[in-house]
Amino acid sequence: MKSTANHYAHGALAAEQLVKSWGLALPIDPFAIAAEFKITVAAKPASHPGVSGMLVRVGNEFAIAYATHIDNEPFQRFSVAHELGHYFLPGHPEAVFDARGIHESRAQFTSKDRYEMEADGFAAGLLMPRHLFFPALERAGQGLAAVESLADLCKTSLHATAIRLAQCTRDPAAIVVSSGSRIDHCFMSEVLKAVNGIDWLHKREAVPRSTPTFTFNQDAENVRRATRIEDTSNLQDWFGGRRRIAIDEDVIGLGTYGKTLTVLYNINMPEPEEEEDEAALVESWTPRFRR
Amino acid sequence: MQPSSPPSDSFPDRLRAAREYRGLSQGQLAEKAGLQPSAISHFETGARKPSFDNLRLLADTLDVTTDYLLGRVAEFKALAGADTLHRHYNALQDADRKFADDLITHLASKASKKR
Repeated sequence: MKSTANHYAHGALAAEQLVKSWGLALPIDPFAIAAEFKITVAAKPASHPGVSGMLVRVGNEFAIAYATHIDNEPFQRFSVAHELGHYFLPGHPEAVFDARGIHESRAQFTSKDRYEMEADGFAAGLLMPRHLFFPALERAGQGLAAVESLADLCKTSLHATAIRLAQCTRDPAAIVVSSGSRIDHCFMSEVLKAVNGIDWLHKREAVPRSTPTFTFNQDAENVRRATRIEDTSNLQDWFGGRRRIAIDEDVIGLGTYGKTLTVLYNINMPEPEEEEDEAALVESWTPRFRR
Repeated sequence: MQPSSPPSDSFPDRLRAAREYRGLSQGQLAEKAGLQPSAISHFETGARKPSFDNLRLLADTLDVTTDYLLGRVAEFKALAGADTLHRHYNALQDADRKFADDLITHLASKASKKR
């Protein structure tokens, strides 16, 4: 059984292969892809929230409906890309049926989340395919400014773009999404995950009190008004361990979404040899006493 | 009552039956449908599972319905009911159901024009 992260990665990879085979450039237009494949795309009325999107099939005809109650183009593009995932990913026709082919029972389908994770990964991989996102990331620099410029390039939300940045970057970096004093989720880059002697942040943990994000979240207006700050904090404050290394911390309120996005970067980890040298130096200074 | 086999299990057999009825080899079908040569044999042995896009391409190429390939109807050109696939099925509100019904009607008229 594949883990949740693998389902997501599997979906992303499938989308990236399609983008490559179609020879597309950024920004990827999921509406144009749907049109190319003769999939009707219909906007649901903005008057009711309901589901963010759905894929409908009658015989050999397909349609995607997407929600418009959130007046945000990146959100709508992501919704359509997610439904394209259900259309293009192998095995998804099975998700429609239960073992007796009665589709009302589908809600009991035990690994239903697997298909949703795959479709989410597909959407991220389609709109921000690694082979196009990575070179753009190299040019975009670091921190929230990089997230903003990539979001602009890909026409994706700051939230989705920041997650993708954490997945793709070669630098030690992390993004944290919080509401009030709680962490909703945290994505650490592969390089940061590989650092020894730090703790991984987890869902539902408290935002550390000494951080700019904690102070920012004390005032809900910061979130609502999409206030943006660039500050500094400390590796130890966020991730524990014994190293007090200054890092950059950019924070922005995500408006009506009600959450805060934090980007932690410019984390200059000492090379292992430097740390060893330092340890040896400390050792040499430490007075020794005869027993 | 013993449940019948899941529709997805029928796909390999249905694909083979429709392909043989149309007198196509696996390679010929792959070529006509624009799929890789090995795709059809993988589908027919059940080694690879189809996407909706694959199903539609194969159904259009073989002039059958996706419902037939999925084992939901017995005849090549017959249609079964509509599918809607989305998150939180139980939470689907009346307004969404109504919107989905309208889409289904629209698609059904497109499907019937093609037949």
